[in-house]
Amino acid sequence: MSINLDQAQQTFIVEAREQLQAMEESLLQLESDPGDDDAIGAIFRAAHTIKGSAGLFGLEPIVSFTHIVEDVLDRLRNGSVEVDAGLIAVLLKSSDHMLELINVVANQGAKLAPPALAREMELCQILQEYQTPSPVQAPKAAEASDPQAPAETRLWHIVLRFGPEVFRNGMDPLSFLRYLQTLGEIIHITTLTDAMPSAETWDAESCYLGFDIEFSSAAGHGAINEVFDFVREDCQIQIVAIDDPVPPMNTGLVATFQEQDDPNTAMVTTGQLMPDQRSAARMPAQVTPDKQPATSDGKAKDGAYVRVNADKLDELINLVGELVIASAGASLLARHCNDDSLQESTSTVSGLVEEILDGALRLRMIPIGETFNRFRRVVRDVSQELGKDIDLIISGAETELDKTVVEKIGDPLMHLLRNAMDHGIETAEARLAAGKPAKGHLHLNAYHDSGSIVLEIADDGAGLNRDRILEKAQERGLVAPGASPSDQEIYNLIFEPGFSTAQAVTNLSGRGVGMDVVKRNITLLRGTVDLDSQPGQGTVVRIRLPLTLAIINGFLVGIGQSTYVIPLDMVQECIELSEDDGVCSREQGYLDLRGEVLPLVYLRDHFNHEGPASRRQNVVVVRYAELKAGLVVDDLLGEFQTVIKPLGKLFGALRGISGSTILGSGAVALILDVPALLTQIAQTDNRYTTPPLQQATVR
Amino acid sequence: MAKSVLVVDDSASVRQVVGIALKSAGYDVIEASDGKDALGKLNGQKVHLIISDVNMPNMDGITFVKEVKKLASYKFTPIIMLTTESQESKKLEGQAAGAKAWVVKPFQPAQMLAAVSKLILP
Repeated sequence: MSINLDQAQQTFIVEAREQLQAMEESLLQLESDPGDDDAIGAIFRAAHTIKGSAGLFGLEPIVSFTHIVEDVLDRLRNGSVEVDAGLIAVLLKSSDHMLELINVVANQGAKLAPPALAREMELCQILQEYQTPSPVQAPKAAEASDPQAPAETRLWHIVLRFGPEVFRNGMDPLSFLRYLQTLGEIIHITTLTDAMPSAETWDAESCYLGFDIEFSSAAGHGAINEVFDFVREDCQIQIVAIDDPVPPMNTGLVATFQEQDDPNTAMVTTGQLMPDQRSAARMPAQVTPDKQPATSDGKAKDGAYVRVNADKLDELINLVGELVIASAGASLLARHCNDDSLQESTSTVSGLVEEILDGALRLRMIPIGETFNRFRRVVRDVSQELGKDIDLIISGAETELDKTVVEKIGDPLMHLLRNAMDHGIETAEARLAAGKPAKGHLHLNAYHDSGSIVLEIADDGAGLNRDRILEKAQERGLVAPGASPSDQEIYNLIFEPGFSTAQAVTNLSGRGVGMDVVKRNITLLRGTVDLDSQPGQGTVVRIRLPLTLAIINGFLVGIGQSTYVIPLDMVQECIELSEDDGVCSREQGYLDLRGEVLPLVYLRDHFNHEGPASRRQNVVVVRYAELKAGLVVDDLLGEFQTVIKPLGKLFGALRGISGSTILGSGAVALILDVPALLTQIAQTDNRYTTPPLQQATVR
Repeated sequence: MAKSVLVVDDSASVRQVVGIALKSAGYDVIEASDGKDALGKLNGQKVHLIISDVNMPNMDGITFVKEVKKLASYKFTPIIMLTTESQESKKLEGQAAGAKAWVVKPFQPAQMLAAVSKLILP
């Protein structure tokens, strides 16, 4: 029978990678807490599962290597091997190697490269030291009982006497007989009812039957015997070849059966296996019942999951986006019709659509923890490489964000972490000299903050060298000679293109990892990055990312005939700008907001809208990170579910606009890039940067 | 009416392979990822056969079998344990708990089908 297992093999590859990831996490856990039995159980289970599944697909290289690893893990589990640094190291390397083997399978048949083979030999050798003195041979072939093939059909006499327990064991005697028929033909069958008790003592759940079968088959004794494997324990079975096809079919049958103790010459009893098996079967009953029942997996994996192709989800979210637009259109029409019941029903629909939207977006949200955990290994390896003792502390792992964001944030985070370890955290000696604990700490944290998610990478190293950065920036003309930027602005200069590649500018540079690349990657995700540093205390890099890339809650504002969308999460309040105030604040460029200076951006001017401003203007107070400003607009139009459509490449140079959306009326509204607008204000205020304000023109 | 088989294994690929094999022979297949999940899925539903792995998170196969045997509706449901060669003791433990049938991993789909058809017909 050929069954196509290609698809299942794909599942295996995905699953094996996950298992290895889990194995690595548990290994690191075990390293920090060598007595953690749960971790050992989880590691063993991972290797065990991979081996078992690989066998199903006949992936011999994986099976044989994993077998050795599993063997060592088994010894670890039952306590005959102790956890030590060397063992953890070799197991981590083994898990790397297993991943490599799996990648070979994923790449369809490509052979393992010679260096990898050499590595495997080396690993096996090290692993062997942890193995049993008499190493277990490689797993035997699945079934070795096939050499016989007596093609000729023979007649067999089978006497079966099922034990009273068979029904209770879930066995149906009839199904065995049916299965027997797949091997040959039952020529005659007699039911033996002599064990049936009288009606009073008769138990409906017990089996009292026996069968006497005459069976013609080409199968050998072993094959027929195998049919009854599952019932052998509580049944009496005799399988005898009748070479002389003379059926002595009468009373003698039962008698023969009862006389089975007799060493009957013609009979080959199959019961020879029984004594061992029976005694062996009883032993586990005395064994203490399962010492560690199901170790909980650390994270809550209790819920049932459905694996869905990401493309399908994207498609769904796109459709929901269209649905949102369509339902906004319907609501608009309903309002024009002045039909109450129609309006009511469209508003119900809008409500539901919004819920569907939320639900659909939530489908894409995954916790950041998995990405964070991946770094444990990186931190461990890099710190060993550098000869530094560094501890990684993770918090906020359950914070969820969009899958796409999670996937793309891994590399920038990795750069930042490596930089922090390489250049941020000092050597143990330097740390001790500075009066700090010898062990360095890295802290990865994630949390939600006003509509965005913040990822923090903090180290307790030496911090940035402010003067050197400033010096370098002035040299490169990034800072006007007389300007006195704030510390934070100076630190953020290292994200400027080409800045960090200069030799030894800061203790965060080097390795050819441009911080500008990190910044660019984050900007592509509509996020921002900034940095804070205390000399001698450490550095914190903060990455702010939008929760989702597809849809935002928007706040609609009007300027003249145009409509703009401000992300609602960033809107703090709206205030009316009276005419008198307006003149005054227009000259000053800021507004007195309850005693606070609020810089204003006149969007009408910013986007070069023609025509007179309306008499009554409004200020929308927006906040992003630590920056706050007022956007002056003509009309406030209310909330709006905004499906983000990217702007074409043509508009790539536009600053202050992050995308567009389609309103229910079919008109296009531009989405304001509030962070960019706010940064522009900050820059013009300080006037130390040279690039002039680029003004976008929109008609 | 196709007979339904509950396949309990924490490995999705094992479930898939068993599922493909059994479906090709005309059985209905219900999947569960561990003992706990499986008990939830049983919940009164008619299941003609259970195939369960031994080593699983949350609830292992042996505990699961013991739990199933406590349920009146599944008293007579045959159970196949998936064991490996290195787990002879687990196999015996499973038998003591009430899972009298077993299939040794790694198995060919045909081997699984043979074991299943000894116990029930499609």
